[in-house]
This record gives sequence, C-alpha cells and structure tokens, in this order.
Amino acid sequence: MKSDKLIKQLKQGDVRAVARLLTLIENEDKSVETILRNIWPLTGKSYIIGITGPPGAGKSTIVDLLANMALKNNLKVGILAVDPTSPFSGGAVLGDRLRMNSAQQSGIFIRSVASRGHLGGLAATTRFMINGLEMLGNDITLVETVGAGQGDVEIVKVADTTIVVEVPGLGDEVQAQKAGILEIGDILVVNKGDRPGSDRLAKELKMMLSLGEHTEWTPPIVTTTAIKERGIEELWNEIIEHKKYLENNEINKTRLNKIQYDLENQLSQQLFTKKMIQVGENEIENMSKKIFKREIDPFTAIETIIKQ
Amino acid sequence: MEKAKIRVLIAKPGLDGHDRGAKVIARALRDSGMEVIYTGLRQSPEDIVGAAIQEDVHFIGLSILSGAHSHIFPKVVELLKENNAEDIKIIAGGIIPDQEIPKWKKIGIDAIFGPGTSTKDIIEYINRSVK
Repeated sequence: MKSDKLIKQLKQGDVRAVARLLTLIENEDKSVETILRNIWPLTGKSYIIGITGPPGAGKSTIVDLLANMALKNNLKVGILAVDPTSPFSGGAVLGDRLRMNSAQQSGIFIRSVASRGHLGGLAATTRFMINGLEMLGNDITLVETVGAGQGDVEIVKVADTTIVVEVPGLGDEVQAQKAGILEIGDILVVNKGDRPGSDRLAKELKMMLSLGEHTEWTPPIVTTTAIKERGIEELWNEIIEHKKYLENNEINKTRLNKIQYDLENQLSQQLFTKKMIQVGENEIENMSKKIFKREIDPFTAIETIIKQ
Repeated sequence: MEKAKIRVLIAKPGLDGHDRGAKVIARALRDSGMEVIYTGLRQSPEDIVGAAIQEDVHFIGLSILSGAHSHIFPKVVELLKENNAEDIKIIAGGIIPDQEIPKWKKIGIDAIFGPGTSTKDIIEYINRSVK
C-alpha cells in the first residue's frame, strides 16, 4: 500500500514524506486517518509558538528571527505560515517565505498554508499539520496566522505561547480596550519600534493590562524593530520565561483542554456530516421553503429534522 | 477530492530585479484557483528546490531575464534529481532564446513561455499537465 510506504518514511523523518503528508492533511484526503492513526503516538512533542497580529505588522520577519534564535540554542524548528485564500477564486498567493530567507537558508522546514476559506486566522487542518510537521522531530513549531483581524483568536487554542504583534499608528487607546486579539497574547510585541508612536503604544498596552484582572502570568510587552533585528533576544527570553511558567503550572492540563476542544469540534463536524447525509439536501430545501412561507418556524423545523 | 489544489512555486533566480513578470504570473495563477508560493528575488537553485520540496508543489515556475538560465536550469534539474523529486515539473519564462528551447526541453524543462504569452495559455497548460 502507498500509505504503508509513506508511514515508514515518516517514521524515518523523511522531508519529502512529511511534505506529502502535509498536502494530504490539507486536502482532507481519505488516507489521512490511517496515516495519522499510525503516527499519533509519535506526535505532540513540540512546543508550539503562535504569532498573530494585523497584516504587515512584521509577523513573518519575527518568525524568521525567532527560528534562527531557536537554532542558535540548538533547538530544531519547523514553521507553518498561514495566508488567506481568495474567497472568489479559491486561489492564494502565499508570500510568507519572502521574509523568511535566513530561516530558509538555515534549512528550516517552512510550509506555506492557505486558509482555504476557514475563518479564525488558521486553516481548518492546521492542528493536524502541526502533528505532521512533528514527524521531523522538531522541538519547536512556529505557527504564523493570517494577518489577523480583531476576532481571529483561534491560535490561542493551538499554541502553547501566543505572541500578538502590534504596530504603532493603527488606532487610539480605546482600541486597546476592546475584546479580542489583544486578550489572547501571552506576550505582546510592539514592532516597528523605530516608528513614532511606538513608546506610546507600549504604554497604552501596559495600561490596558493593568486595568484588567490580575492573573499569575502578566503578559510582558516587548518592543522590537524586526528589520534591524532589535529586541528579538528579549522576545526569545520572554518566550522561555512563559514556557517555564507553563511547565510549573500544569502545562499538561492546558494542553488537555485544547485537545478536548479539538475533539468536540471534530465530533460535531462528523455528527453534522452524518446527519446531513441521512436527512438529505432535499429535506433541508423543503424545510427552508416552508420556513420562508411562514408555514413552519425554524425551531420546529430543526426539531423535526433532528427526530428523523 | 475536490479539496486538492494545484500548488506552484514562483521563483526569481539570478541577480536581475525585474519581478513584474513573476508577479503577474503569480496573480494570474491565484485568480485561476491555484495556490502560489512566491519566494521573491535572488533565489539560488538550492533555495528553490528546497522550498519546492517543503511546499510539495506540482510545478516550479522560474522567471529569468538575465541570461542566467544557462546556469540555473541544469542546476535545478540536477538538484531535483538528487532529491528524488523529479515529479516536480519545471516551467520557465522571461528571456530565453527561441533556438535554445529544444535544448532546455531535452534536459527536463517542461515548458518555456516567452514574452507575449497569454496567462490563459499558461493556466491551461498547468491544468492539463496536472490531470
């Protein structure tokens, strides 16, 4: 069988095989289940660092520098970089590698991922892709989200340490009070620190944090100027601090919660698909027509369908 | 399955900085529903082949205007071979003299699209080859 050969190559950490597996996972190919079943015990061994923030904030450049920092510390790294899929054509231009030249030249495995219509900042299959990547034996997986909006917070359900990159000039201090992306950062980065307004942004973020509930881990704010490689060592040190903090505070419990969240999601997806096949598209269309004509209300319709 | 996408790596090896052509192609392929990995300027053959393997692409698209193709083409072909990745096809565009085209096709360049080629033809070519 083709899958058997691939599984064998994966267990040897073969780069081509890992790349192929990532494609199969992305395509939601039928063979994926069998393969993942076989390698599952070998996955879950990397420390996952998520990097999110608005488009153009400098995420890819920071990922590139962090990857090299990890290398310097004798850690093996893998990178997944997500970019958006066009809602019109289904195509994508994936350009994160452009900013990852030094990581590429160090031989680090970088995979560009298209979101393929999934919302939330990642692709639907990103979790399994991380597991696939782990077959290379990497200690650290860096996951870069699409240029995120305020609500793209899914990375927090995936990463051990989430870094939110902000830049000056995007809004006033009220922006910092809003719910969403800023809340999920274990570390907040003010990039483009050489631009006017970066000190002020750092202060505003600090103020925001001080107004909030005090937890054991207070997200540090690190100012970086990524293109000049400034502040990266400090950022790396904060990541290590956060990792230590997690390890002293039930990292396994946090990871277990994330797995439970995933399982619930996958289960609801499967149950949904099964039920839809059972009920059939026609029934959904009929019910919709009835709801439209006000012959039935949506709640009764749902109840009826579920009972079928 | 319908979810499978054609993936193409667009690279600009050599030292010239004229990347307009590469960008036009990247955009056209995107608009036809493909996933395009754009790696930018001044890529070495090693960078290109390494990236193509990691990204598991169907095609490498090389845009060369400087004449460096006579060095780059054989090198990329050779590196793909070394890495057991000959199934990744190479297409090229830019300034490649017509009389050389048969020679390059012979060593393993799948297709060469010169100036004036319609993006539609390139898209059709790729779609046909992947099927």
